[in-house]
Order: sequence, then structure tokens, then C-alpha cells
Amino acid sequence: MSGFRSSGLAALRVKIAAIEAGGRAEAGVLPFGDGRIDGCLPGGGLPLGHWHEIGGEGLEAETAAAPTAFTARLAAPLAKHGEVVWVLRRDDLWAPGLAGLGFPPERLIQVCARDEAEALSVMEDALATVGVAAVVGEVEGCDLTAGRRLQLACEKQGATGFLIRRRPYGGQARRAATGSAAATRWRVASAPSQPPAGEFGLGDPRFSVTLERCRGGRTGAWLMEAEGAYALEANDGTHPLRLVAELGDRQLAPAQPLRLAG
Amino acid sequence: MRRLAAVDAEAARLGLHAGQKATDAMALVPELSTAEAEPEADAAALTALIDWCVRFSPAVAADAPDGLFLDVAGVDHLWGGEPAMLADFRRRLAAGGLPFRCAIADTPGAAWALAHFGQDGAIAPPGEQAPLLAPLPPAALRLEMQTWAQIERLGLRTVGQLMDIPRAPFGRRFGQAALTRLDQALGREAEALAFRRPPTPWFARLAFAEPISAPEDMARVTADICAKLCARLEAEGRGGRRFEIAFHRLDGKALPLGVGLALPGRDPVRIAKLFGPKLETVDPGFGIEVVTLAAHDVEPISGRQASLDSARQPTVEEGLAPLVDRLVNRLGEERVWRAAPAESHVPELAAARARPLASPRKTPPQPGDAPSWDIGAPRPARLFRRPEPVEAVMALTPDEPPTQFRWRGQLHRVRRAEGPERIGEEWWKGAIDEVSTGHVRDYYRVEDEGGGRYWLFRAGLYGASDTPPKWWLHGVFG
Repeated sequence: MSGFRSSGLAALRVKIAAIEAGGRAEAGVLPFGDGRIDGCLPGGGLPLGHWHEIGGEGLEAETAAAPTAFTARLAAPLAKHGEVVWVLRRDDLWAPGLAGLGFPPERLIQVCARDEAEALSVMEDALATVGVAAVVGEVEGCDLTAGRRLQLACEKQGATGFLIRRRPYGGQARRAATGSAAATRWRVASAPSQPPAGEFGLGDPRFSVTLERCRGGRTGAWLMEAEGAYALEANDGTHPLRLVAELGDRQLAPAQPLRLAG
Repeated sequence: MRRLAAVDAEAARLGLHAGQKATDAMALVPELSTAEAEPEADAAALTALIDWCVRFSPAVAADAPDGLFLDVAGVDHLWGGEPAMLADFRRRLAAGGLPFRCAIADTPGAAWALAHFGQDGAIAPPGEQAPLLAPLPPAALRLEMQTWAQIERLGLRTVGQLMDIPRAPFGRRFGQAALTRLDQALGREAEALAFRRPPTPWFARLAFAEPISAPEDMARVTADICAKLCARLEAEGRGGRRFEIAFHRLDGKALPLGVGLALPGRDPVRIAKLFGPKLETVDPGFGIEVVTLAAHDVEPISGRQASLDSARQPTVEEGLAPLVDRLVNRLGEERVWRAAPAESHVPELAAARARPLASPRKTPPQPGDAPSWDIGAPRPARLFRRPEPVEAVMALTPDEPPTQFRWRGQLHRVRRAEGPERIGEEWWKGAIDEVSTGHVRDYYRVEDEGGGRYWLFRAGLYGASDTPPKWWLHGVFG
């Protein structure tokens, strides 16, 4: 009975996915390579051909450092298939830092937009272009209409969008948009690194990552590590982000749960 | 001391001349009306005139402060010969109310001499400058003041007398420069003119019987002239990187517009489309009578087969290049770039901006084929253009990383730290007395209790001066 029910559900899911895709072939997924996180995502990985929203909190809402590092690691495998366009509002993105994170800067075209609307329209333009694998945009927010337009642009060539929510320096916090057309919404914060015992300095960068919203999937919170950052050996094959621990409660407490990592 | 910079015909008739003391001139002609000399405005007006002259020939060179050279070789047939062209030129200039003198000759030097000292509107027949130049005074040779004065002092009154002097004694007596000028005037030596626009053979021109001004007409003539020039480019297997269109208005102003392409191209529809949004900025005034289009940076490009199998990788030409062109022409050239490694260890200089599609990419990158960033040294993903000051920095000993710091009003307690990495200034680039130990930076990579990773540096050394060195935050790792 339960087997029949689950197979029926699966068939329904496939049908719905086909309707949502509108007859276009799905662009595929980018698996994290760990069941604990891939299980939450529809199709077993980060859906490509969609756009994803990534944000930070506190100071990070202005510097967007952890979301940037996280996005650069996420987009690094995509850069093998085409160019990446990064739409900025302030030109403080630094290519040597991205190179250290394993992102190929020679694949990156940086665009500095003058205002929010321009940033969104450049993103849209780039997403719909042949030969662009991913587009990263830094904007304050994205309403439903703009989000829908981004999604339509993503579907044209199967490019993947990353929207980093970033407030201008000293800007007022805007009320977060309630709805969103994004496939997933992530909140990323830096987490203390854990270098191997007996070593000085900092370990590989760690991030506490919360999947706040996931279309067709479940939410979750994890502690992730950017393995092999600032190392000369390129890691081939594996996903650039390694899952260190699952954060039990979905609400991130800043200090304590991170002990799980050790 | 105030002097007259220029005089008009009436003033010259009364005996005034340029260079005269203003007080002397006022004494001679008490009712003299003067205006302040404005060399910058004169230069701007000359530039505007040069832009206007592009309607006659694409090669125009300024002859500051008050003249210009027009290279009419190969264009006079459009008017039906040099006399007709000169007549048209004179008629249009006179309509502008500008006093002028002009002449046509084989060489710029001869044309200059005839225009300044010969008969106005003279046309020297090809190869026969010498008889026309002979009666002119030596000043017609564009000589230095002292050379010219010396020649006059020796009693040589005409260019013809100079031409009769044997070359060697002439060069010894009056200098090589004077000999060069004489040779240039007679066409024995080539003279390089600094054309305001580099003459490009890739030039198209459309003239209208009736002036146009409607926006849709302008869009149409833009498409027409693009098609005209691109057909030529196509026929010769070439493409241009930069296209400049100029709308010549009835009142003599030329309104230029330019677009750039990331890769050389010759698709008329695409180029016309790039001009599209900019056409709104053109004010047609009373109407536009001539449109010119020039292609620059023309390179050979190979015609490509459009498509055979659909599964192949998309080429740069069909996807990325039009995107980059759209962005560059919409946002401006300085807002679209690709980071390129620069040979500098100073962080803010290490990433230079390159054109987005400057070099064809090599895949995969070969180790050691191009200078690249050292990815072994941790560098932040966000680097502030100006380092931000941090306060309340506590460090145990001068060489130790800080244990806490305050940045943007928040106190950060440092949990882990790496460093220092000492980065010195590029002392070999500055003056010797500017080099000091105060210009080194000791960079630390620190992690605070919340996990935030920052790139801090201390500018200068402890004990180098009376004030303790300052701390700065240069970037955020995330």
C-alpha cells in the first residue's frame, strides 16, 4: 500500500515538474555529494537553470563576504561550462581572493551597474545569453515580478543565477520581500574554522549555511567547509564545499552548535 | 604687460598689429575696443571647425593656433575637381561668417605658404609649386623667428632667392630646420601631419537632398550607412572594432557618436542597433544634411560558417560578444571588465582591468604560461578600494597580531590569527627620498569569535616615528 502510495506520489511529482518546466528539458542539478544536504533539494542537488538567493546577516548584509565566498565556491564547477558574469554595485570584488577560493577568475566578467534596476536588467540580459553558465548579481532585493523575469531568463539557455542580497553601505535595512521566485534561498554566515590540532593560524573557511526556502524540497541548516581553499592543489571531482555537520535546530545559534564541528 | 593678441582687418588698416603693447595701441587709436584673448576658446573653436571639415575629407589636421590642413587627395572628384571643391568649401565657410584664406597645393608647406602669403584661393597645379612660391617672402616657409629675421637681414627677400642657394651652404648658414621646411614646401621631403582623426579608409558618407530631422529618419539613415560601410568590410574580409558616426547639421555643427565592439565585427544590423539608444541624444536642430560613418581598428576577420550541428559549443561571436557590446555601450567601457593579473605585490594593484574579451582563452591553463595570482597566499574575496581604519586595536607585542579591534562600531575579539605577511611599497618606482620603513604593511589574517575572517594590516613599524602606527582593515574573507 505504502509502496503504491509513494510510487503514485513520485509519478505526480514528475508530472508537476514537467508542467513547471513548460516542455523544456531540465538543466540538471549540481549535487553537493552528501546525502544529508542533497536529500533536501529537489532532484538531489542544486537545481541548475534556476536562480538562487543568498544573503547574510548583520555586517554581512553590507559586506556580503560570506555569501560571496559561498557563492564563488558554488559557482566554481559551473565555470567549467561557460563564462560567469558578476554584476556588482561596488567594485570591491577581488579576483585574487576568488582564485584562492578555487574560482577561475579568467572565466569571470565583472560588470558594475549604476543602480538596482540596472543590475537586475544586466543579470537578466546575461542569463539569457549563449555561453554564460552562471550569473551572480548583488542587489538589495528582488520583488516577485523581477524574480519571475530572472527565472524566465534562466530558462532560455539553462544558465544558473545567484542573487546575493546586499545592502549599500550605511543603507537602511529594507523589509525583506515576503514572496520570492527563487528556487532556493540561503542564509550564509562565517563560522569559526577548526584547523587541525597543533597547527597555527586559521583552518579552511567554514560557513554555517541555512537553506531557508526550497521550492519542492525541505529546509535545513548545515555547517560547511570550503575544502582546499588557498591551497595549490586543485580538488577535482568533489564538490568544493564539504558538509561538516548538520545543525540540529533550524534556528542558528551563533556559538554553541558550532561545537558539533569538532 | 598687456599686448594685442590679434587684430581685425580694420585695426590692421589703422596700423595696429599683433604683439603691440595695449597701451601703445590705445594711444594710437583711443576709441579702440578690445576683448580678452581666450586661447582655450580659440582652440575649442578650431576643434569644432575641424570636426565640421570632416564633411570634406576624413583627414584633417590642426595647425594651431588659427589654421588647419585638409588632405583632399582622392576626395575632390566627389565635387567634380579641385576648383569646384574649393568653391564649395569657400561658399560654406563664408556662410558661417568666418574670415579665412585658403589654397590647394601638393604639399602642406606650399599650401600654407600660398594661403598665408600668396593669392587667396590659389590652386597650385600638380608639380608646379616652385614658380608660385618663388615670389613669396621667406616667412612663407614657416621658419623660426630668428632664422627668418636672419634671412631678411641678409637681404634675401623671396623664397625664389633661397631656392637658388646651394643646399650645403644653405643648411650650414640657416640650420637644418630651415632646409627641411624648404624641402617640405617643394615636396622633396615628406611631412607628417597630426590628423585629428586618424585617416581611415573605412569611411562612408551619405548626403541628403533635403535635410532630415525626424527620429525615424535618423534611425533609417543610420541603418543605411552601416549597411553601406559593412558591405565594403564584408567584401574585403574585415571587421571594425570601433564605429563613429557623425551627423552634420545645417548650421555647420557635427554631432559625433561612437560605439565599440568587443570583437571586430561587420554586422550592419547589430551595429545600427548599438547606435539606436544614442540617437536620442542627437539634436538635429534645423536638420541634418550629411551623415558620415568611419570604422576604426579594422582587422581581418574570417567569415564563419553559421551552424552545422546543433550540439557544438556556442562560439564567442554569437553569444558573449554581443552581450559584452550591449553592456559596454550601455554602461560605459570602464564598467565591464575582466580581472587580469598585474605584476605587483601591492594588493590594490595586483588585479588590473582587462577588456572582457581581450585575449582568446587557453583551456586548460598551462602551468606557468601566464603570470597569475599566487593562490597559496590567502587573499580576501572582498577588497576595499580604500582600507578602512580600525580602532581600539590591542596587540600583546608589536609583532603580534591584534587581539581585538573595533571596526564600523563593532568590537571584534580575535580568536585565531595568521601573520604577519610583510608587503612593502614599490620603492623602485618613487623618488629616492620618499623611501622609508614607514611604508611597509604587515598583513594579518584574523578570525573573530563569530567566525568572521578579516585582513588587517599595520601601516609602518613601531618606533619608526613618535606616533604609533595605525591599523587598517583592507578586506573581508567571508
